[in-house]
Amino acid sequence: MKILLVEDNPELTQNVVNYLSAEGIICESATTLFEAQDKILSFGYDCILLDLMLPDGNGLDLIEIIKSQKIKTTVLIISAKDALDDKLKGLDQGADDYLPKPFHLSELLARLKAIFRRSKLGGFDEVVFNEITIEIHQLLAKVNDQVLELTKKEFDLLLFFITNKNRVLGKQAIAQHLWGDYTDDLANFDFVYQHVKNLRKKITGAGGKDYISTVYGIGYKFDPLAS
Amino acid sequence: MKLINIITLWYLGITMAALLVGGFFIYNKLESEIDFELGMELTRQIDAYAARIENGVSAERLQYDKLEIKEIPYNLPIEELHLRDTVAYHDPMNRNEVQLKASKSYKINGKHYRISYYNLVVEADDITETVVITMVAVFAIQLVFIGFFFRIISKKILRPFHESLNAVQAFSFQKNEPLEFPKNGITEFEKLNDFLERMTKKLLKDYRQIKEFSENLSHEIQTPSAVIRGKLEHLINENITEKQAELISSAYKNNERITHIVRSLGMLAKLENEEFEAPETINLSPALEKILLDLEELIAIRSLKITTQFDPMVWLEIHPFVAEVLLSNLIGNAIRHNIDQGSIHIELNSKFLKIENTGVPPTSDPEGFLERFKKGSDHPDSVGLGLAIVNQICKNYGFRLFYYFENNLHVIRILFR
Repeated sequence: MKILLVEDNPELTQNVVNYLSAEGIICESATTLFEAQDKILSFGYDCILLDLMLPDGNGLDLIEIIKSQKIKTTVLIISAKDALDDKLKGLDQGADDYLPKPFHLSELLARLKAIFRRSKLGGFDEVVFNEITIEIHQLLAKVNDQVLELTKKEFDLLLFFITNKNRVLGKQAIAQHLWGDYTDDLANFDFVYQHVKNLRKKITGAGGKDYISTVYGIGYKFDPLAS
Repeated sequence: MKLINIITLWYLGITMAALLVGGFFIYNKLESEIDFELGMELTRQIDAYAARIENGVSAERLQYDKLEIKEIPYNLPIEELHLRDTVAYHDPMNRNEVQLKASKSYKINGKHYRISYYNLVVEADDITETVVITMVAVFAIQLVFIGFFFRIISKKILRPFHESLNAVQAFSFQKNEPLEFPKNGITEFEKLNDFLERMTKKLLKDYRQIKEFSENLSHEIQTPSAVIRGKLEHLINENITEKQAELISSAYKNNERITHIVRSLGMLAKLENEEFEAPETINLSPALEKILLDLEELIAIRSLKITTQFDPMVWLEIHPFVAEVLLSNLIGNAIRHNIDQGSIHIELNSKFLKIENTGVPPTSDPEGFLERFKKGSDHPDSVGLGLAIVNQICKNYGFRLFYYFENNLHVIRILFR
């Protein structure tokens, strides 16, 4: 997967590029609207991560160009300007998703992969990891071909873990992924812990390995090398 | 009371007073004028009779019911004209009537006559009647004219005022257009309109500034906060010791808290600026069902018993996003601040939403939790803005919010109208 990150804050760019590169995603970046325009006209990208407040204009203009030039790509808006009308305007104009800043990098990756799956594979795809198979379209997870009885949130959680495997996921990031931004600080209660516990129990119950480990008090990690 | 009615009533009151005073003067003037004219006429008559006596007509022959000629001693001085009211027999009417009597004496051909002549006077009652009838007629005509023309004229005169009023009522920050009025040529209304134009311009400018400020603030804090979060997320993926993890975890948690506070305050600011106009009516029931479904696992984890009583159709004019925030905040609270094996009861109909849940009894007045940063629980990670947001939403949409503790239950009740 190749993406273009349009963002004027160098630190944020560095964060995103570091995180996504480690997943094997090729990241290019642009800091201005002009530079971004130049790049999308010259190269092809699977997805454009687009900040709206850019030094030389509004990111929404870029979507216009993509549409008028019929460039085949997807757009994920990342903006601190989480004014609701911007979000609606962006999605209206053809952006594929909207992620308000500040976001968790793990969340960004999950969204990016979801967009990628939708656009490239029409949503009919499987994520396979060792003995675990996830049929996203069917909302089905199997361990060694045995179907796991997962709740919707547990399913989301498993996919989130596998998407971000080998990464430590903070409790807050998990809570936000499962319940959204405005569900006031659910992370600080034991809900995440309970969900993770149930998921682990179900996977091991079906004969799967216990890949998920606790990382001190911070969060959890899906560790492919777990024994 | 309408302005036009007040003006009409005052006008009629003043007219009535004026007519009363005027009537009194007219009465007096009329009476004295009539008396004067009558006196003149009588004098002329008496003079005429005196002249006829002088010409040799016998006094006795002249006498009739209106004329009285009496011979008085010659040595008496000549009496000047003397007018007085008297009651005398009036032949045609065949009864005694109040009459005006004019008398004067003449010395004619060595004789001294006192000639008195009577005539009917216009009676006070008659004058009064005339005056009253006239005044009442005038008043009645005025009443009709005022009732009719005042309304037409006032409609015309007050039109710019009504137009201004409508414009002010329709004024909205969302439209972002200052009021502008056409010239109407009435000084007072021009002044008013001028003031309104300036005021709305100022309001819009202030509103934009506040909005920009809160947006910028939110942006300026969120960007570095996002950077911090990213760095910390990288850091937790490094090889760290447990002690370092503790430090990172604490920094991470507090950064999350900042993010959350900024976001909540941003939401509050937007609500206060009324940025969420209800673009449509939505059915609250399925929205609430969806939130419950979204949180069902949390409910299961805490082993909460949940009972609901929903009307299937609860249409409300509310922004769908705001509705979601409102409901998820309330349900989220009912779950978080509950006790294991507790219960939640939710009632929703077109009149109200009621959420009752078990929980630790509050240590202070629950209404206080509706304010910012006032927390019911002593949970250190709870920000305490959730209910403030709920409160602000209710204020925006004219709902009435009640929060009380009763029968060991926390009760939130929102009356929609």
